[in-house]
Amino acid sequence: MRKLISHKSGKKSGLKKGEYKDTINLALAGNANVGKSVIFNQLTGLSQTIGNWPGKTVEKMEGHLNFLGYRFNIVDLPGIYSLSTYSLEEIVSREYIVSDEVDIIINVIDATNLERNLFFTFQLLELKVPMILAINQMDLLRKRHFELDLEKLEEIFKLPVIPTVAVHGIGVHQILEEAIELTVYHHPHSHYIQEGKEIHEHLTHENHLKRYSLKESTKNISVKKTFQFPDLISILSYGKEVEIKIKNLIKKIDPHQEYFSQFNFPSRFLAIKILEKDEEIEKLFIANEKTSQILELADEYRKELEGYHGEDINTIVSSEIYNNIHNIIVKVLISKSRIGRKVSLAEKFDHVTTHSFWGYVILLLVLIGIYFFTFLIGDFFGGLIEKVFTIWSDGIYQIYGDQNLWVLIFWDGGIGGLFGAIGGVLVYVIPFFLIIEILQDSGYLPRAAFLMDRFMHSIGVHGKTIIPMILGFGCNVPACAGCRIMETEREKKISIALTSLIPCAAVMTVVLGLVGRYLGIIWVLILFSINFSVIIIVGKILNKVMPGQCTELIMEMHGYRTPNYPVILKQTWIRTKEFVYKALPIIIIAGIILEILFMFRLLDPINFILSPITVFWLGLPFITGIFLIYGILRKELTLVLLAVLANSMGLSLLELLTPTQMVVFSLVTMLYIPCFATVVLIARESNWKYALQISALEIGLALLIGGMVNWVLVLVIN
Amino acid sequence: MRKRTHINYSSRNHHSHLRIDRLSNCENGKAVTVLRVHAGFMAKKRLANLGIIPGVKIIKKRSALFRGPIEIIVKGSSLVIGRGLASRIMVKKERTQTL
Repeated sequence: MRKLISHKSGKKSGLKKGEYKDTINLALAGNANVGKSVIFNQLTGLSQTIGNWPGKTVEKMEGHLNFLGYRFNIVDLPGIYSLSTYSLEEIVSREYIVSDEVDIIINVIDATNLERNLFFTFQLLELKVPMILAINQMDLLRKRHFELDLEKLEEIFKLPVIPTVAVHGIGVHQILEEAIELTVYHHPHSHYIQEGKEIHEHLTHENHLKRYSLKESTKNISVKKTFQFPDLISILSYGKEVEIKIKNLIKKIDPHQEYFSQFNFPSRFLAIKILEKDEEIEKLFIANEKTSQILELADEYRKELEGYHGEDINTIVSSEIYNNIHNIIVKVLISKSRIGRKVSLAEKFDHVTTHSFWGYVILLLVLIGIYFFTFLIGDFFGGLIEKVFTIWSDGIYQIYGDQNLWVLIFWDGGIGGLFGAIGGVLVYVIPFFLIIEILQDSGYLPRAAFLMDRFMHSIGVHGKTIIPMILGFGCNVPACAGCRIMETEREKKISIALTSLIPCAAVMTVVLGLVGRYLGIIWVLILFSINFSVIIIVGKILNKVMPGQCTELIMEMHGYRTPNYPVILKQTWIRTKEFVYKALPIIIIAGIILEILFMFRLLDPINFILSPITVFWLGLPFITGIFLIYGILRKELTLVLLAVLANSMGLSLLELLTPTQMVVFSLVTMLYIPCFATVVLIARESNWKYALQISALEIGLALLIGGMVNWVLVLVIN
Repeated sequence: MRKRTHINYSSRNHHSHLRIDRLSNCENGKAVTVLRVHAGFMAKKRLANLGIIPGVKIIKKRSALFRGPIEIIVKGSSLVIGRGLASRIMVKKERTQTL
């Protein structure tokens, strides 16, 4: 699905809209939080699509732009720290980087954190792919009185180095210019050789047009195949002993070039990885009879090296890389003044938000804040949209009559479903996405993970799970999608189950609107404590049932920063768009089906079938069976329909339901099933079997606890 | 069950007089040098990739309440690691340096 989006400069170069000379595929790679996504947003604007990597539940961000007559396809790879096989994201990234789908890798590096960032750069270098280094946050580095010798860095890496300040858009288009340069000459540095020291000067478009219009057409030439990777062996060296082993392994690997060429990994990379005992790479060797013996040799070498150094192989390799990095940093990083830094506002904030007391207070305030923000804005716009729909409905009924079959199906079911989705779901989802983007961009969420790690361990997951769970307070749908950040399949599954039990804004509507309004805040708190106890119990059960063990938290804690509002707004818009495309059609179709069921009185039998549960066990009125079915679609519908019924009977809710019934009804609504959109999303994130298992578990729990509460209350009151 | 590496170092709680200790037992704000990481293959690899390697100086910045995770500064950036893992990182305390 390739959309053609014209960029300003595309027009300037005299090409018609959508026309381009050549396609260049870029991938942005780097650690988390280095400004990768800011660069991505600066370059691609709103032409982004969020998808999944084929067969994997890792998010794939793609975008396009036309620049100087070239068409750029850009992929924003997940933020990772190494190319090992620790997480799915690392595996996905590694495979993509060496694939033919990408021509040039843009390695985004945080200038203020060179040591950690260059570790990843070194791993990329081993893959021998055409690369451009974008050194971001140069302004911050200067603020800290450091200077980076970029020319020296270029000399060392023999790769183009571009300084950027992504938040201000400085340098981002130079990355593209450099990419064109690489495509045209298939060699890094070509224009430095030709034009000497003009490297970091920003080139005007006119200059560029002059330069590129002279070039012959370069269509359909893969950058990768003709690119000559510079010889970097001097800086990549792992020390004498390791290098000898690598060389010997390469000798064994090279005769099987034919077999390995299909995977695109260079021999040296393969040699290092089998020495490191990388499972994914070992699989490639095992798959072929002839190459599986090489692994034995690698095992032997590993033992020899480990015996010699008295350390485990990964420690040896990592420390050699860090040594190399240190040697480079000494050469390129210049400290300009020795004045001690003052404690910045961000650091004070960091201190308070991780404080043993105030940290928890702030966490609580953030949670309440998410609720209120989502709830107030959603409620306001939801009310407006509902009014519009009612006015239009009245008009439609007057023209076509309110018993017309088609009106009922398409207006009440279809359009009603659409309005319901917009007024009941979307108005909550949008402010929620917004506040989440702000929380994510400012860097607060890892603090919550830090504070809650200990507690989360007791329910079978580590602290990071708190992040999707916090998101769950607004809306379960994006929150369950957020469980992707968990490293292992086991943790992801447990996180999804727990997140789907978090009372979302819609559930809050029901609880506050029914119990809060008529019975008081105490009962609301009781209901919430029951809900959270259920989460803890489910966590403990899943922790026991699921095979495997809870892993330990290892997470980088970035400093706070001012949120980048244009990026936040763009991200909110893109996420909303995705949500609309994926969830709305399902909601509308479900609305039509329910309307048909309702019209042919097919719901009465359902009520009847459900009555032993609803009437006898839960002690609820006969009619509530339908409401609970509707509630699967949108949880707040349970309350809305109840109010409509009470209205039509001329009663208040207090006359319709006893206090016990209110409590039980709210409790069941809270727990009984994740809403339909959440179930669909869980199925997409894992599989339908798991989605149905969770649904069944939650229905069972809701009925069990709802019934118990009912009987206890009945006994107490009598 | 995970096989725990048995270590001969003392595991008493208050022993600030010892030069060698578990990272989890160290005082907040103190600089220490990593001696050894007694963790599983993957966890060790992960930590090594992030710069927690014998001989590297790290600062224990803070720890969370109720025996929660530990935040350290390593290679110029902050890293949070679970308490269990931190207790398997053996460090040597420095005499003078503080945060």
